[in-house]
Amino acid sequence: MPPTTGAPPTRADLIDPASLASLGRIEIIARWVVDGFLSGLHRSPRKGFSVEFAEFRPYQTGDDLRFIDWRVVARSDKWMVKQFEEETNTRAALVLDVSKSMDWSGSPERLTKLRYAEQVVAAIALLLIRQRDAVGLVRYDDRLRTVLPARARTMQWRRIVRSLEEPGAGSDSRMAEGVQQAAKLIRRPGIVILLSDLLVDQDQMEQSLRVARAAGHQVTVLHIMDPSELELDSRGEAIFYDPESTLEVTATVSDVRRAYSATVMHAIEEWRQRLAALGAGYEVIRTDSPFGVPLRRAFATRQRLP
Amino acid sequence: MNFLAPIWLGLIAAVAVPLFLHLLRRRIDIRREFPAARYLLRAEKENVRRLKLRNMLLMLLRTLALLFLALAAARPIAALLGSGHVPTALVVVVDNTMSTGAIVDGSPLLSRLKTVAQSVVSGAESNDQTWLVTADRAVTGGARNAVLDAIDRVEPLGGRGDLTGAITHAAGVALAAGLSTSTVVVLTDGQASQWPGDISLGGVRVVAYAPTGVAPYNRAVTMAEPRPARWSPKGTLLVGASGADSVTYRVTLGGRTTARGLLRGSDEQVVRLEPSERGWVAGAVDLAPDELRGDDERYFAVWVGDAPAVNVLPGAGLFVREAVDALVQSTLVTRGPGIEIAAVDEVTRLPALLIAPADPVRMGAANRNLERLGIPWRLGEVRRDETIARGEDVEGTPVRVRYPLRMSTGGAAPSDTLATASGEPWIVAGSGYVLVGSAMSAEASSLPVRAPFLPWLSSMLSEHLTSEGSSLLRAEPGAPIRLPAGITGFEGDSQVLAVGSQPTAPTRAGVYFLRRGDDRVGALVVNPEREESRLDRLSATELKGRLRADDVIIATDPADIPRHAFDASAQRPLQALLLLLALACLVGEMMIVRQAEPQGLRRAA
Repeated sequence: MPPTTGAPPTRADLIDPASLASLGRIEIIARWVVDGFLSGLHRSPRKGFSVEFAEFRPYQTGDDLRFIDWRVVARSDKWMVKQFEEETNTRAALVLDVSKSMDWSGSPERLTKLRYAEQVVAAIALLLIRQRDAVGLVRYDDRLRTVLPARARTMQWRRIVRSLEEPGAGSDSRMAEGVQQAAKLIRRPGIVILLSDLLVDQDQMEQSLRVARAAGHQVTVLHIMDPSELELDSRGEAIFYDPESTLEVTATVSDVRRAYSATVMHAIEEWRQRLAALGAGYEVIRTDSPFGVPLRRAFATRQRLP
Repeated sequence: MNFLAPIWLGLIAAVAVPLFLHLLRRRIDIRREFPAARYLLRAEKENVRRLKLRNMLLMLLRTLALLFLALAAARPIAALLGSGHVPTALVVVVDNTMSTGAIVDGSPLLSRLKTVAQSVVSGAESNDQTWLVTADRAVTGGARNAVLDAIDRVEPLGGRGDLTGAITHAAGVALAAGLSTSTVVVLTDGQASQWPGDISLGGVRVVAYAPTGVAPYNRAVTMAEPRPARWSPKGTLLVGASGADSVTYRVTLGGRTTARGLLRGSDEQVVRLEPSERGWVAGAVDLAPDELRGDDERYFAVWVGDAPAVNVLPGAGLFVREAVDALVQSTLVTRGPGIEIAAVDEVTRLPALLIAPADPVRMGAANRNLERLGIPWRLGEVRRDETIARGEDVEGTPVRVRYPLRMSTGGAAPSDTLATASGEPWIVAGSGYVLVGSAMSAEASSLPVRAPFLPWLSSMLSEHLTSEGSSLLRAEPGAPIRLPAGITGFEGDSQVLAVGSQPTAPTRAGVYFLRRGDDRVGALVVNPEREESRLDRLSATELKGRLRADDVIIATDPADIPRHAFDASAQRPLQALLLLLALACLVGEMMIVRQAEPQGLRRAA
């Protein structure tokens, strides 16, 4: 567990992400987050997928007590849980937007959207791999930067973490390509989790997600947003420019603050309705939210799989 | 709308600042990376009308705030909702002369004037300054309550006062205050005799009350004159009254009624009296009370004592000897070594009545004798031109031969010129002497052959040549007086009033004995002016014509006076209102601006 200064919360998945990220490398942080996340669960997510026994493994906090093999406990005084083969069959593809717009933060005290999303990707991947799920990764900006096929081995997570350190921040978001590539990575119906700021063309994105859904994948979109994008918190008059395009807007913040917030809320609602119509999950994740929040969203997606 | 500090209207130019800033397309140097710029653009496009309206509202509020502040700095005044007024220097002149003590419709007119004055002063506000000026030119200023108390204490004067002087003084006080409006409210009975001519008051507003209706009928004692001033002990009193009908009068002397009589019309009567008292005695003549009590009684004082002793020398002349015989028979004088009456060159000592010699040859001896006696006058070269004498008791007397009297060089003793001829001193008096510039003969002048000769001679002997009873002063209430040396106070009404450095007669009519220490050495008789008893009034038009000022309002209804006192200036400062409006604009502007600021951001700010 990460060191804490005595004030609650002590679980890494509930700690301020910027503070937590400053404590170590991405894999360490991801482990703390996942450990904290798992310790907070009261019910194991691995209930009822299959009945085919595979092996024993030590009991972990959050495991369902029904899967404890009491005979082994009586014989060896060790708490062991029965593992079933079917649990390893879930395949997931994490799709990460690494375009220039993601590499932005409204405040130096917060993580950029990209740093935040990378931590989330690492944690989700670790969580899935620990559950014997196969995880793949797709990174894209103005082109596909990383394509890692889904694997369930421990080494797969290290590959994912290494991939996250590769360059990105291109001046465009080829989201459709990324999602389609992710859908190809998993042959059976699985999970596609997209992490992006969604500053893309809605129609194109909808089209690509439709393809993924048609392939039977459960799709969840984690809309990563900086709080400053939800509410303008700056002051004065300035020229606001989009790092990925030539768009420049001259505005007095106090004049447009309210209208801007309404517009963003409207856009979010639009995304929510469009994705709901596709049967895709959609969550807005603020970069000042503890990592447990997106993890829980992704985990919920995992639970919904048959 | 008027402005008290119009120079600050220049600040109105400041309203151009928000207008300029609003219209100016400013150069913006700040560039901020913002990935969600597309949402910003969408927000601007979707809310362009609302934003324009908001910006216009902000500009309007900022412009109005500056406009209101600039106007407030210029201290505007204007009529607003019919209430209030500009800061006013308000001087209320209450005519408390004796005539305002008259009872009109059951109450003294002065009481009504005081009521009106109080309602006028009560209408003053904190920005105003108020004063009360009475007819004796007494000024009371300060807090409103102090002025109201002073009005309450106003009493009628014993005489005529100086109403026109008080009004002029009031105008000066009002103008000196330096407030935006100077108003003089004159509350008077409009007595015609008080307004002999126009009064120029300069740049003040004048609101005057002119009572309507007929002035009350008034009878007054107009004459109570002891003849001579010194009784020995017999004397006469000349009594007179005004009024067309007959009226009974009463004479009191030393507090006792000594005579009664009936006066017809404006006749005068001589009342012979022989009081038993000695020394200075106070007396009065009074009538039955009428609407104006102040003039129903008239005072006099007389010195009662032994008749002066007179020694007539041959040079005095035949007429003088016979006149003295008549006075001796009337017991007004006695024969004895008291006062010498003789030709100038015959007189051996003072007191003396010195008469110029008939023969001009004796002029040199006469002048040497004057020098020897210490008299500062000298006889000039004889004049034989007929002229007319001017002076009390000798007015109009033809003078044919005279020695012009000239003051010798170095003569500094105080003396009075009692009569003149051709503008030159003819009869002069000083300490212990009376010097006549003509011989007492029919050739020299008509004085010894005219009827007034006997009273004149009696007056000279009893008033100028006798030390006792000579200090009789007459004055109007409050008038400045010249007292004999050494007078320490006035004794009257059982109390002694101290004499100031610039002595004035008491404001109440009566007899006041002059005190030198514990001794009574004379008397001061204070009676109202006779013209104060004439109550006929000026009309409103006539009164308005008398008052020369920027704005003159004459009200005949006393209820209109308080309204008129501030009516023409029924404006009030708008400064506070404009500041409130400016504040409201700024608050409104702040609310609109803050409405767009999230609470967290405001806290951070």
